Amino acid sequence: MNESPKIPESVRLMAEQHGLGKALKLFPEGVRAAAERGQKPLGAPPKGNSPIASPAPIFNPARFEK
Amino acid sequence: MTDLAWLTVAEGAALLRAKKLSPVEWTKALLDRIAAIDEHYNAFLVVTADKALAQAKAAEAEIAKGQYRGPMHGVPYAAKDIFDIEGMATTCHSKIRMNHKAASDAFVVKKLRDTGAVLLGKVALHEFATGGPAFDLPWPPARNPWNRDLHPGGSSSGSGSALAAGMAPAALGTDTGGSVRNPATCCGIVGMKPTYGAVSLSGVFPLTYSLDHVGPMTRTVEDNAILFHAIAGHDPDDPTTAVREPADCLKDLKSGLKGLRVGVIEHFYKSDAEAVPEQAQAIEQAIGVLQKLGASVKTVRVSPLPLWTDCNRTIHTSEAYAIHEKDVQERPEDFAALTRNRLLPGAFVSAAKYIRAQQLRAALCREMAGAMRDLDAVVTLSSLCMPCRIDDPAAVAKTYDQQARLVFNVTGTPAISVPTGFTNDGLPLAMQIAGHSFGEPMVYRIAQAYEAATGFTAKRPPIKLAARAVA
Repeated sequence: MNESPKIPESVRLMAEQHGLGKALKLFPEGVRAAAERGQKPLGAPPKGNSPIASPAPIFNPARFEK
Repeated sequence: MTDLAWLTVAEGAALLRAKKLSPVEWTKALLDRIAAIDEHYNAFLVVTADKALAQAKAAEAEIAKGQYRGPMHGVPYAAKDIFDIEGMATTCHSKIRMNHKAASDAFVVKKLRDTGAVLLGKVALHEFATGGPAFDLPWPPARNPWNRDLHPGGSSSGSGSALAAGMAPAALGTDTGGSVRNPATCCGIVGMKPTYGAVSLSGVFPLTYSLDHVGPMTRTVEDNAILFHAIAGHDPDDPTTAVREPADCLKDLKSGLKGLRVGVIEHFYKSDAEAVPEQAQAIEQAIGVLQKLGASVKTVRVSPLPLWTDCNRTIHTSEAYAIHEKDVQERPEDFAALTRNRLLPGAFVSAAKYIRAQQLRAALCREMAGAMRDLDAVVTLSSLCMPCRIDDPAAVAKTYDQQARLVFNVTGTPAISVPTGFTNDGLPLAMQIAGHSFGEPMVYRIAQAYEAATGFTAKRPPIKLAARAVA
């Protein structure tokens, strides 16, 4: 709780937008590290796959019929 | 008769059915053992001694009357404290849930109740099945029976500890990025993450919505297959469960490996990351054993391990944050530091990144299915490292990605951790055997043949010495 790192303004703004004001006050280094990790870009998919050809998991309404 | 602490489910079931052992006797022996040694291992959060004895007496009476229900009838087990049990708190090992009270049993707990199994109590975990071994929570972390100073693996840490210390022959765990297989690896037991949809998640507090799996944990492969069969099956209240009869994992369990085709994903631990020599040498020897037993073995390649990790972690952190957002915002100080640090990144993952991770997941699933097209199973390492000190949070955090377990949470396909030997210091080593979707019978068959050939699951940690040393 006694962390006192310099928090980039962009992280501070984002954290506050996300309702993390209390976490930012108590654990600023934790919030800074979390912002870095959360925003890290995702790796490229295997060759031959494009977002258009790879839909997100298919929603199947029939599965909800008991 | 074998010491009741180390009786396997299969051995115990045979004795119970033949009326050579009473469920009450077995249950009492384990309750006495828990009372005697668990202060050193912290495996149990709650011991339900009265209820256990009542269930054991009921099982005894039924078996005496010839009303034998099956191989879990009268068998004691423990449940990770993430499964609802009517009238009890499902604490998830968290201060935040200390006052919770479950209205009904989780589906798998009900299934086990119907089989006549005896619940010994609820066991420790990493808070909300994430984070790590924390010392800033209302309960201490579970300890590794092979060395109390070392990480027992998690998040199903209490399940692994209770099994390895001979306090229960069977336990329930959950696995989102390896949480059944990690404690299985660290504690020298057997842990299966089944196919997504094979086992109901109803009444299990979620860590994520699309990566969670309930898994059986035991000391032997056969016991694991027995427990899996008892808990698998369609649940009308869980639309993610498959509408199909659970496969019979015992039928071909001892059919051997002749003619089977096994792939080895060695780039996960040889080039994508470098495993410690002990783990790498143990799996090389294990592959040799599989070949000697008649399996043909070939190396296969899929995407590099860091891409699988990226995919799992992005989905994991986003979905976990969605579950815990309100508490992270309003009472972040009530989480353990390790848990908070695992949850917070989810606040910063964009919707676009989450969607791309789900698209990546589909691509990776296709890739794995293609790599396995002509194979019965693949093997790879479970942990790339050895357990670190339990009280070193920085070292614990480093272990999160030193593993190849989360790959099979991405694919949703079954993967089991089985012991592959021991280091010179006496610490367990392990590998994973992974199969096709709903291919649990084949995974168990390979694991069983390997276990029978090597006997590593028969080795026990030095419980009495450890208990004396800390007394």
